[in-house]
Amino acid sequence: MTKLQAKNIVKHFDHNGTSVVALDGINLDVQEGDFVCIVGPSGCGKSTFLNIVAGLEQPDSGEILLNGNPISTPGPDRTMVFQEGALFPWLKVIDNVEFGLKMAGIPKDERRQISQRYLDMMQLTKFADSYTYQLSTGMKQRVAIARALAMDPEILLMDEPFAALDSQTRDLLLVELQLIWEKTKKTIIFVTHNISESVILGNRVIVFKNRPSKIKKEITIDYRRPRLMEDENLQKYYHQIVEELKNEVIAQIKDENP
Amino acid sequence: MSEKAISEKKLQSLHDAGNAALFLAIFVGVWELVFVLGIFPKISLPSPMMVAGSFDKITLNMSLPIGIGVTMGRLVAGFSISIVLGTLIGFTMIRFKGFGRTLSSFSAGLLAFPSIAWVPFSILLIGFNDFGILFVVIMSSIFSVMISTYSSIRNIPTIYIDAAKNMGAKGFGLFRHVTIPAATPSLIIGLRQGWSFAWHAIIGAEILMSIVGLGHILSVGRDFLDMSEVIASMITIFTIGLIVDRFLLNKIEEKIRRKWGLNQR
Repeated sequence: MTKLQAKNIVKHFDHNGTSVVALDGINLDVQEGDFVCIVGPSGCGKSTFLNIVAGLEQPDSGEILLNGNPISTPGPDRTMVFQEGALFPWLKVIDNVEFGLKMAGIPKDERRQISQRYLDMMQLTKFADSYTYQLSTGMKQRVAIARALAMDPEILLMDEPFAALDSQTRDLLLVELQLIWEKTKKTIIFVTHNISESVILGNRVIVFKNRPSKIKKEITIDYRRPRLMEDENLQKYYHQIVEELKNEVIAQIKDENP
Repeated sequence: MSEKAISEKKLQSLHDAGNAALFLAIFVGVWELVFVLGIFPKISLPSPMMVAGSFDKITLNMSLPIGIGVTMGRLVAGFSISIVLGTLIGFTMIRFKGFGRTLSSFSAGLLAFPSIAWVPFSILLIGFNDFGILFVVIMSSIFSVMISTYSSIRNIPTIYIDAAKNMGAKGFGLFRHVTIPAATPSLIIGLRQGWSFAWHAIIGAEILMSIVGLGHILSVGRDFLDMSEVIASMITIFTIGLIVDRFLLNKIEEKIRRKWGLNQR
């Protein structure tokens, strides 16, 4: 079943008075339970695309359909894990996880139950009453994931959530995220500039072309899970994507140094 | 925080207190010396003991306790009104962007406007009474509250708002549960500044237009050439300002900053 459909999404940016095309007709169908990774050079508009799906930005033309219904505003059916976590420093960890549930008017007892479950899942039970400044970056991202999952969204959006982590923590979370995906059967769109991440996580990897952004290539990776960083069988996918992106990176450098 | 860190901090504040006491002792010593040397006539510069005597006098005849009470009452009343009105105007500035931009373009002039310059205006508009004094206090502190409300909210990192909207927050819920707490650390700084403006204003206004209060004690001292009383009143004003800022406003700010994780080294 098609969960999410992006139809011919176009987005311009105003850059020093000139209009720059950021997204030039993105078409993407995401099936229920898909783990879609979007990978591309920095500044290629992949985060913009995710923001449009989230409803935080509006496309200039085209539309996003969720379960066949057009969407234009942000909503808890599409929760996002931001690069910097975006946790609220004035709330305890558990209250951060419960925030969306509170906004939805769910009674306190039920909120506690749900948030406890996701804190357990992310191994954060001990930190329920901590404030966010007391957590490491990796723990913060785990809280952010728990917070997004607690909303039980139709689709989970992740915008380079592991970019700021050290590599050991990231490798650990890459495995954890796969386990969570298998357990919760969530539909996930994961944006990254890190090719290894996309190969390990995605069952579909969408390669974005440099500005004006289009989808250049889609690679399906049907391989057992949990996949590990050091798995050599994943190398061929990695090289395939590197090859696709090589020209894009060169094009981008030329773009920036005319 | 570990116990060691706490005890280190206690030791540090004990050390600071010791230094402050030493500084005061030296200050009083120099003062006494200047007095003994007779550089200024006795009537212009009394000795520390004479000032202590004045303290005794104005405490016993109740003019000091009543003065403190009246001044603080006016200050709290005026500043409370400033907070309520200033915050409301600040919110309106956020809600109506054009209005906000227009008003904030006057902010430098409004903030720098000397509080004492409101006094003649207030006397003529409202009169030589408590309401006139309140008016000066309000006008001197309201702009600082207003501008800080406006800029604190405008400077909230957009990621907090995005994240909140993403989780379904909107309208008043978004405002109450995200906008206000996210702006709080910088709001507190604005309130502290507003408080200090209000404090400047009340003393000035009382010197010129009151028949009771700390500022009034100063002006009585001047009228009767009673320098001891003037100095006693000044010391009181200094002490109250210090206590309120150090032990009330600063504590609140520290607490919030700690909770928000802004004090991490």
